[in-house]
Amino acid sequence: MTILPTLKSLTIAAAILASTSAFAFAKDVTISVWAGGTGPNDVYRLDAIEIAAQQLQRQAALKGEDLKITVEKKSYSAWEDFKQALTLAAEAKTAPNIVVSGHEDIAPWSQAGLIVPIEDYVDLDSWPLNGIYENLLQIASYNGTVYGIPQDAESRPMFFWKPYMKAIGYSDADLDALPQSVQDGKYTMKNLLEDAKKMQDKGLVQPGYGFYPRTSNGPDYWQFYTSFGGTMEEGGKLVFDKAAMTRTYQFFADAVKSGVTKKNHIGMPGDQWWKEVATGKAGIWDGGTWHYARLVNQEGLKDFFGNVIFTLIPAGEGGKANTLTHPLVYLLTAGHDKEDTDIAAQLITIASEPRINALHAVKSAHLGISEAESQVDFYSADRWTREATERLLPHANAMPNNSDFGTYWNIMWKNLQASWTGDKTVDAAVSDAESELKSTLGDKIVIR
Amino acid sequence: MKSSRTLGLVMIAPAAIMIVLFFLLPVVLTAVFSMTNMTTATGISGGVYQIAPNSLITLKSAMPDIAAEISEPRYAIDEAGLKAVEGLGLAPGIAGELRAKHTGEVFATRRDAERMIKDLSERPSTRDVKQISEQFNRSVVNTRFDSKEQLFSALDTLGLKLTPEQKETVATATYTGWTWTTDNFSRLATSPDMARVLLNTVLYVALVLTLFNVGYALLLAIWTHYMPPGPASIFRGIWLLPRITPVVIYVLLWKWLAWDSGFISILMGKFGYPPKNYLLDTAYHAWFFVVLINGFIGASMGMLVFSSAMKAIPKSQFYASEVDGASRWQQIRYIILPQMRWPILFVTCYQTLSLLASFNEILLATNGGPGNSTEVWALAAYHTALRNYAGNLEYGLGAAMALVLVVIGVTLSLLYLRVFNYGTLVAKPLIED
Repeated sequence: MTILPTLKSLTIAAAILASTSAFAFAKDVTISVWAGGTGPNDVYRLDAIEIAAQQLQRQAALKGEDLKITVEKKSYSAWEDFKQALTLAAEAKTAPNIVVSGHEDIAPWSQAGLIVPIEDYVDLDSWPLNGIYENLLQIASYNGTVYGIPQDAESRPMFFWKPYMKAIGYSDADLDALPQSVQDGKYTMKNLLEDAKKMQDKGLVQPGYGFYPRTSNGPDYWQFYTSFGGTMEEGGKLVFDKAAMTRTYQFFADAVKSGVTKKNHIGMPGDQWWKEVATGKAGIWDGGTWHYARLVNQEGLKDFFGNVIFTLIPAGEGGKANTLTHPLVYLLTAGHDKEDTDIAAQLITIASEPRINALHAVKSAHLGISEAESQVDFYSADRWTREATERLLPHANAMPNNSDFGTYWNIMWKNLQASWTGDKTVDAAVSDAESELKSTLGDKIVIR
Repeated sequence: MKSSRTLGLVMIAPAAIMIVLFFLLPVVLTAVFSMTNMTTATGISGGVYQIAPNSLITLKSAMPDIAAEISEPRYAIDEAGLKAVEGLGLAPGIAGELRAKHTGEVFATRRDAERMIKDLSERPSTRDVKQISEQFNRSVVNTRFDSKEQLFSALDTLGLKLTPEQKETVATATYTGWTWTTDNFSRLATSPDMARVLLNTVLYVALVLTLFNVGYALLLAIWTHYMPPGPASIFRGIWLLPRITPVVIYVLLWKWLAWDSGFISILMGKFGYPPKNYLLDTAYHAWFFVVLINGFIGASMGMLVFSSAMKAIPKSQFYASEVDGASRWQQIRYIILPQMRWPILFVTCYQTLSLLASFNEILLATNGGPGNSTEVWALAAYHTALRNYAGNLEYGLGAAMALVLVVIGVTLSLLYLRVFNYGTLVAKPLIED
C-alpha cells in the first residue's frame, strides 16, 4: 500500500524533469528601464516597454523558446536628480538596461562610453523604425551613428489667454489669424511685450503676470535665442552669437523693466505657476506641447481651446519665428550582457510601433514619432495632437548633440538669470558669458 | 614603557584607519580630481581612443587630408571578411552568395552594407546581419580602442603612413577621457562669477555666525542661565526644534510662510498689500530668509555649549559677586565672558567650518537664487559637480572648488587657534609639573 504514494511522487518528479527539458531555451531576463522628467501623464515611457515585453514573450513562444521578461521601471520627475543618478550608476556599472532621456545626453554619454549605439542591435530599415521621421532619427544620432530611438517628439509653443486678448482689442478673426501672423513674422516679440503690457494696464492680470515664462532652466530659453537670430551650432562647432545673445538677455531684462514679468520669476514654485496659467492669472506664457495634458488633466482647465491659443515663438529682431523639439530617446546602456541588450533593443523597437507610441502621445500630449502614428485614428482624432503636429512640428529646431553643449548651456543660463534679476547688466552678462566660454571651451566654440 | 607605547599604537589603529579612510582620503581624492578636466563626457574611470567625426573637427584644421581619410567609413567585401563570415557558423549559402555576387564591392555606410546583406536569398536575422556586416568593417570610425597601440595598429592596417608625431596628434584628438590640467584653478581665479560666489560665502558665514551661531546663542544661554530651571529647560527645548526637525520639512515650513500664497502674503493681503514671493522677491529678501533659516538651526548648538559651560562656573563666584553688589551686566562682563573663551573658540571654529560647507538649507530654500545672489561656494561646487539641468557634471571643476573650501577651512582653523591663543588654553597646569 505504501508503494503507491512513492510511485506517484516519482511520476510527478519525472514529469517535472521532462517538462523542463522540453523548454531547453527557458530564459528569465530582467530588463530595467529608467525615465527622467516623467510625471503622471508620461507613464507610457515605461509602460510601453512592459507592453512590448508581452509581445516579445509571445513571439518567443511561437519559436519554441520560453522567454520570461520582467520589466523593472523607475521614473524620476526631476531632470537634475535623474541625470545625477543615472550618470553615477553608469559609472558604478549598475546602470539600467534602457534609459529614457533627452537627446542632448547622447553626445557626452556616448563619449564616456555609458551608452552603446542602438543601430548595432536593431534593423533601422524595417518597420516600425523605418517609419520614424528622418529628422527625429537625426536628432537621435551622433557622429553619424544612431544611438537612440526617439520616444516622443514635442515642441514648445507660446500660449495666449484668449479672453484677455479679446479684451485688449483682438477679434475672433484676429485670433484665428494669429498663428499664421506669428509664422510670417508679422507678430513679433515686441508686439508680445506690448500686448502683455496692455493686459496689465487694463487690469486683466496683475503686475508681473503679463508675460509669464518658464520658471526654471530648460530648453525653452534656446528658442528665444533663435528668435533673436542666434545659432547654437554650425558645422559641428558650437556658436555663441554675441549680438543675438544680447538681444535675448535684453528681451527678458526689458520684460522685467516694463513690469510684465516678475524679477523673481525664476525659482518660484512650479505648482503655483501651473495653477496660475491654468486659471487665467497669466496673460501670455511659453511652455511645451505636453502642458496641454497637465492643464486639462491635473489643473482643471476644462475648455482649453476656448481659453487658449497657441503659436510658434514669435520672431525677435534679427531672427525668425520658431519652436524647439526636444525628443526624449530610448538609449541602451553599456556594460550589460550582449543578449540582454539585444532583448532590450527589441523591446524598444516594439514600443516604437505606432499604436503603442500613440498611447504615450495622446496621454501625455506629446507628438508622434512617425507618419504612420499620425494616421492612427486614436491619435489623429485627438484635436490637440493633430493641431500641434501640423502647426508646430514643421518649424521645430533641436538643440545640438555636442559633448560640450552642456557647458555652454550652463554658462548661458547663469548669465541669463543674472541679467533677468538685474544682478548684472545685459552687457556685463554677455561679456562674462563670452569670457567664461573662451576660457572653458577655447576653440570648441565660435564666438562672433 | 616601550610595550605600552606599542600597545597604544595598536589601540589607536582602528581610529587611524577610519581617519585615513573617511577624512584624509576624500581630501586627497578631491585634490587629485581637482587637477583633472573630468566631466560627464570624459567619464570617471578613464577614456578610450575613438575616431569620431566630432572629435576630428580640431584635427581637420591641422591635417585635413589625414583627418578626411581616417574619418571615412568603409565596408569592403573582401576575402578576409568572407573567410570570417564562413567561420560564424551561419547558413553556408550566405558566404557563398556574398562571394559570388558582391566580392570587391565597397559600401560607404554600414546601413548600405546591411541593406545588401538583407537582400541575400537566405535573408539572415537582424542579429546575424549585424554580425556579418562587422566582418567587412574596414574603417576605424566610431570604433573604441582601449590603448594607443591598438589605435596605431588599426591606422596601420588602414594603410595610413603616419609619422610618430602625427600619430600622437591623432591620439590626443581622439582621446575621450580626462587629462591632467590646472585649468580649473585658473578658471576659478579669473571668473567674475566665482568672485561673486566667494563674496556671498563670506557674507553668509559672517552674518549667520555672528548674528546667530555665536551672538544669539550666547544671548540665549545667558537668558536661560538667569531663568528658573524649569522654564529654562522648556525654552532651550523650543530652540532645539529647528535642529531636530528634518531639513526638508523645516525649509518647507519657511517656504509656506514666505511664498506668494503663503502666510505672510495672506496676512499682508488683509492690509491691502498684493501677494508676493517674500522669499525670492529680491536678493535682500532671499538673504534675510537664508540667514534666518540657517541661524535658527545653528543657534541651538551654541546655546547648549554655552549653557553647560556657564553651569560649570562655580556658583560661589556669583554669590560672592552679588555680596559685592555686582550688577547682572558686571557678572556677565567679569565672570561669565572671561570663562567662556574656550567654548566661544570652539563654537566659532566649529560653526565657521560647518557653515562654509553647508548648503542644503540654501539649496532647498532659494537654490542659490534669485539670479545666483545666494549661491554660496559649497552650493556652487555641488551644482557644478553633481547637479544641473543640462546633465553636464563637471567633476574636475567641482573638486577644485571643494579643494578651495578645504584650504580656506584649514587656514581659518589655524587663524582661530592663533587668535584665541590655543597654546595657553591647553597648557598643562603648573601644579602637575
